[in-house]
Amino acid sequence: MALELLKERWSSAINVLKVGAVKEEGGTRASAITVGGQTTLPFLLDEGGMPHRPVVAMEIFDVAPLEWPVSLLEPFGDAVKDPVKWAKKCINEFKADLICLTLKGTHPEAENISADKAVELVKNMLKEISTPLIIIGSGDKEKDNDVLARCSQATKGENCLFGLAAQDNFKTLVASCMADDHCIIADSPIDINIAKQVNILITDMGFKPEKIAMHPSTAALGYGMEYVYSIMERSRLAAFVGDKMLAMPFIIFVGQEAWKVKEAAANVADEPGWGDERMRGPLWEAATAVAMLHAGADILVMRHPEAVATVKRSIDSMMKGNND
Amino acid sequence: MSTKYTLELRPDKKEIKVSKGENLLACAIKAGVYLNSSCGGDGVCGRCKVLIKKGDYKTEPTGRLTSEEKKKGYVLACLTTIQGDLTVHIPKESKLDLAKISDGDAQFLRLKGIYSEAEEADAGKAIIDESIYSHSPLATKVYLQPPLPTLEDSISDLERLYRELRKTRDIPIMQTGLTNIKRLGSLLRHSNWKITATLGKRNETTEIVVIEPGDTSNRNLGVAFDIGTTTVTGQLVNLNTRKILGTKATYNKQVAFGSDVISRIIYATEEHGLERLHHAVVDNMNDIIRVLIEETKLNLTDIMGVMCAGNTTMIHLLLRVDPTFIRREPYVATANFVPVIRAAEVGIKIHPRGLLACVPGVSTYVGGDITAGVVASGIANEAKTTLLIDIGTNGEIALGNREWLVCCSASAGPAFEGSGVTCGMRATKCAIQGVKIKDRQDGIKLTTIKGGKPCGICGSGYIDILAELFRNGIMNKNGKINREIKSKRVREGKDGLEYVVCWKEESEADSDIVISEADIENLKCSKGAIYSAAATLLKKVGLTFKDIDQVMIAGGFGTNIDIDKAIMIGLLPDIDRAKFKFIGNSSLVGSREILLSYQAMEKAEEIARKMTYIELSVEPRYMDEYVASLFFPHTDLDKFPSVKEAIRGVRSK
Repeated sequence: MALELLKERWSSAINVLKVGAVKEEGGTRASAITVGGQTTLPFLLDEGGMPHRPVVAMEIFDVAPLEWPVSLLEPFGDAVKDPVKWAKKCINEFKADLICLTLKGTHPEAENISADKAVELVKNMLKEISTPLIIIGSGDKEKDNDVLARCSQATKGENCLFGLAAQDNFKTLVASCMADDHCIIADSPIDINIAKQVNILITDMGFKPEKIAMHPSTAALGYGMEYVYSIMERSRLAAFVGDKMLAMPFIIFVGQEAWKVKEAAANVADEPGWGDERMRGPLWEAATAVAMLHAGADILVMRHPEAVATVKRSIDSMMKGNND
Repeated sequence: MSTKYTLELRPDKKEIKVSKGENLLACAIKAGVYLNSSCGGDGVCGRCKVLIKKGDYKTEPTGRLTSEEKKKGYVLACLTTIQGDLTVHIPKESKLDLAKISDGDAQFLRLKGIYSEAEEADAGKAIIDESIYSHSPLATKVYLQPPLPTLEDSISDLERLYRELRKTRDIPIMQTGLTNIKRLGSLLRHSNWKITATLGKRNETTEIVVIEPGDTSNRNLGVAFDIGTTTVTGQLVNLNTRKILGTKATYNKQVAFGSDVISRIIYATEEHGLERLHHAVVDNMNDIIRVLIEETKLNLTDIMGVMCAGNTTMIHLLLRVDPTFIRREPYVATANFVPVIRAAEVGIKIHPRGLLACVPGVSTYVGGDITAGVVASGIANEAKTTLLIDIGTNGEIALGNREWLVCCSASAGPAFEGSGVTCGMRATKCAIQGVKIKDRQDGIKLTTIKGGKPCGICGSGYIDILAELFRNGIMNKNGKINREIKSKRVREGKDGLEYVVCWKEESEADSDIVISEADIENLKCSKGAIYSAAATLLKKVGLTFKDIDQVMIAGGFGTNIDIDKAIMIGLLPDIDRAKFKFIGNSSLVGSREILLSYQAMEKAEEIARKMTYIELSVEPRYMDEYVASLFFPHTDLDKFPSVKEAIRGVRSK
């Protein structure tokens, strides 16, 4: 007798988040990116729908990240010195779905690049590339409130995704994104309650919940990833039974976490037993990313082209219902 | 060290001789001037601020004073040592108002419940029917006229006494001390075989406490105490008639050595620390007894028994038992069930042979005060499932009915008792207890206890302020003040934004009375701890707030809180308001019940044994519940439907 599998059905769906705007919508993107809309846990396509596949954004910096390990810098060559060139390479050669521009150089303790310069770069970037854009601040609250607000204003109509809005610093960014019709990333420190609280605080200001992506924090493989996994799973389960304040798609910064750990970054000369870092690093990043996909990630922000390629293949395969 | 200097304390005009290098805070206490000191003299809380008028001193640097204050000559007393003759001015806000014991003050202390509507003030009735426990007080006096011995009836004096007693009541085990036996022979003959024996229940045994000549059986008094971390309350009771003869409350003098139990346990480890703490509370109790006796014009020696309900640490300190191990893992108390002892052994001045008993505790962090509370509330006898919340520093929570009982202790912190917050004070004269914000710009209506000019904010005042700030959109759900509000009351302060509740000119305080974002954070943690502890306890037994038949709020503080506002900020669950009952100082009521009935004592022991203690720190769900509660009113707004409705209404305006 055939065994009938029990199927879980949920009453609510994840929000549909659209990043980028085409000409008719007031932007200049060739096409927008749409994620979310799931009515099932990741890739359980027999139980519900996953109308939009997860996407991969590649992360680039406004200043060359010379602190990156050689194995990560190598594939980009000289392009890392020119953000626009770098972005184009990611899109054209490495098939990034969209670009995540991190304005690291604006940090007062880094290059302290001015808001004017940042605005110029962002405008130029949008002119030169056709994919939607994610714009991330340097992490310095005061500077971000200046830089991101200016960037938001300068890119009005493009429907960019701005981050990060956190519990202790969200008002300025929310107000800007609301005025200029952008999307926003709500950040929280691996805590489902705080994740929800940030979403409530943002929507309390009148911001549309459909324009929020959640960042529940990211951890690399071997560094507490399972904790993030369980928080994401709990959020999803709550959303599926109707919690609107946890129904936002997830954005996960895989690259920055994976490349922080020595298992990915150390070169073989220092760790002879670990094998070639040119293979090990991308694998570490890809493994982290795939695990995050299974936790429910909608937008992965990644770094290494090979890891990106692996993950994109994996998404293809899993979207076919191939869960092997 | 032999050099003696003069320390003058203004405005009290007290002078004492001190030695070089002595600590200013310690000297002030020695001089009988008590300063606020939440941290117990560690230089952390910044509440013992004093102004040096003239003289030599050394003081350690501190970030607790603004540079302006330092320039003016302010120092923290606990960080200052005396180097010569010194004149010091003590500002009002630094002084610990060790209120004199009087009706007026007692009425408005933290334990307002003693004279509250919830407890039917003057009668001081318990909320349950007192007659459910038989009348069998801690000490009973029996007048006896044993038949004279003859050659035919020649049993000994003591056996004669026992035989006579057993005629009146069933006493299986009886004992008498040597002191009484020594005096018995001549006492019986000199009193013409008319004597009064005082019987005391010492656990299973009945003891002949004392034998007096003549008939004194109608003079049998007892005192029930609630020994709180902050306040000590005593009630004089006629043990024969169960009539309450008077109630007095005073601040716990131990406050001078730290405001919470942990800092006191630490202080107890210092040289003479335990002794000082012990003497402080014994002094408190003797003071209360003395005043009660003076006012009622009764005799001290007619007080035959004292019953004490208090948390485990308070009982340890009262008995002068080292409390060190209470705060060390695995947090074990020396004793939760303390046998009945002679009151004189710890220095309580009543009849020299009078008894002292303590209400048994459940665990190290759920003391006899909560057991007494459970006895008083009657939840252990009820079919209704009841949640009992004692809102205090140690936020004890009990849940159950006559079939089962569980309890836990939530470290809520002292914020709602007015400690650890910028302008906080205890619920005493001049404290702001009610707040209504009429408009966002400026309009605010304050009510103070006894109606004077405000000098600070007490717990119920803070609940009102939070609810009003929230309701008016001045504070967001996260507890942050809205910078965009156009009101001169919103301004940049020392700890982020602050809201001016009362201007200096309209107050008795030395500066504007404010609530800062840091205060709000502190209060948010307190209310979150209480709500989440209750929620966790319910979940642990598979219930929700909806399943609760009634919620009893205990603690003096609980008698004058606005239920709607407490729900608005998420301190109390959003359920039918009719289910809430204020029971005032349940610990004192329980203490009295137990003083008056051995059956109630047995009930207390049964409760203490049967109540399951849930340690929240090892409960994985608790942290989750706690973080969810750190929001106004709660992360899950659906748990607070009436608040959801109320704030929707405000927004649509």
